[in-house]
Amino acid sequence: MSDLATLLPILWDGFCTTLAIFGLTLLFSIPLGLLIAVLKMSRFRVIRYPVSFYISVMRGTPLLLQIVAIYFGSYYLSEYSGLGISFDRFPAVIAAFSINYAAYFAEIFRGGIQAIPKGQYEAATMLGLTKKQTFFRIILPQVVKQVVPASANEVITLVKDTSLAQVIAVTELFSLAKKQQAAYASIYPLFVAGVFYYVANLLLSTLFAYLEKKLNYYR
Amino acid sequence: MNGGLKMDNAILKVEHLKKSFGENLVLKDISFDLNEGEVLSIIGPSGSGKSTLLRCITQLEMLDAGTVSVNGKDMIVGVDKKGAAKYASASVLREIRLSTGLVFQNFNLFPHLTVLQNLCLAPVRVLGNDRKDARAMGLFLLKRMGLEGKEKAYPCELSGGQQQRVSIARALAMNPKILFFDEPTSALDPELTGEVLKIIKDLAEDRMTMVIVTHEMAFARDVANKVIFMDKGVVVEQGTPDFVFNQSGNERLNAFLSRFAKG
Repeated sequence: MSDLATLLPILWDGFCTTLAIFGLTLLFSIPLGLLIAVLKMSRFRVIRYPVSFYISVMRGTPLLLQIVAIYFGSYYLSEYSGLGISFDRFPAVIAAFSINYAAYFAEIFRGGIQAIPKGQYEAATMLGLTKKQTFFRIILPQVVKQVVPASANEVITLVKDTSLAQVIAVTELFSLAKKQQAAYASIYPLFVAGVFYYVANLLLSTLFAYLEKKLNYYR
Repeated sequence: MNGGLKMDNAILKVEHLKKSFGENLVLKDISFDLNEGEVLSIIGPSGSGKSTLLRCITQLEMLDAGTVSVNGKDMIVGVDKKGAAKYASASVLREIRLSTGLVFQNFNLFPHLTVLQNLCLAPVRVLGNDRKDARAMGLFLLKRMGLEGKEKAYPCELSGGQQQRVSIARALAMNPKILFFDEPTSALDPELTGEVLKIIKDLAEDRMTMVIVTHEMAFARDVANKVIFMDKGVVVEQGTPDFVFNQSGNERLNAFLSRFAKG
């Protein structure tokens, strides 16, 4: 068990990085996703088409590749252009995760917005509510309820996806566990890391179940 | 074709209204008017354009040609070069909108808000009324609808008939000059239609100006000062209830009414 005493602090460090990737990704991808969802429903093709293309690339290629592309792509770009816009490793990971998850959230939010019956807009219009009032007071609160289950899926996947950050040598939980695996010559550290992921997701599932129940006061 | 009605200061005036969806001409040439404090029933077979007419007057659909004036304000101010109706300025349209209320077939209450919040949202946010006044008005209207004590309920906790009465209260809370009903009992179980029809009758007795699209023939006859029978996008017959239901010799109307009499 003395193994565990030395292992835990090391893995805890990695877990903090994992949590940082997780938290920052949600912070950026949810509002971005909402914006992209609204843009994808635009009346104008010039807006709709590029947004659709963006979503299809984000969902159609591996996140692993996107992380690499943003990190090395920005590096070579700044090298050749001399613009100095290259990302450090950690910000590159946050950028890649955020734009990737925003695409998934956008599709969930779009589905949620489109599931609101037309009658809700018409009733709001007849009462003289402005478009902004209608969206924020009538539509969005109902969308939140609609999208919680599907969003929970994404959020839980994100916890596990953070391990992809190791591809550009960001020392998150899984990469540190792998290093310890070599040091211990045992897969035991990997299992301990697994427990970290599992406990985090258990907490999140509980939180989402509570949220769903809380939003169940109507319909 | 005016069935012995005299016309004076009309609060609602519709002239030569035309509306099509693509190639499909839904309203061909609709004209009628309605005086303040009167009730108009619109009857006719499904697909005759009754609901579309209501939606054009309440600005949920754009009409193609013709004029509509509500409470002395013109919704249409002329025609553009292509001959299509030109709408009045946004501020005039808004004024007209706020003088009209609409009760939907499917209620369209806001499910995430309580009954009282449904009633107070627009008076506070749109009219800028004091929150306390709006609450008091809401509670008063609920009492009038026979829904005392339901103010904290959510729409999903109410029966269809109760929901429809809330939606009538919600429309009344905006103090409209004319209240429109789009088949207000069609989505209700038969045993629940009575409570909603009674509320509408009470409003008629209080001289609320109303336009009601309905399939309840006895109700249409009893509540109205004036009845319009529409078929295939035209007004086939209009006049007093007695004229339309008993004296008109129009074949299409009689065929329609006898279908209803048979059930």
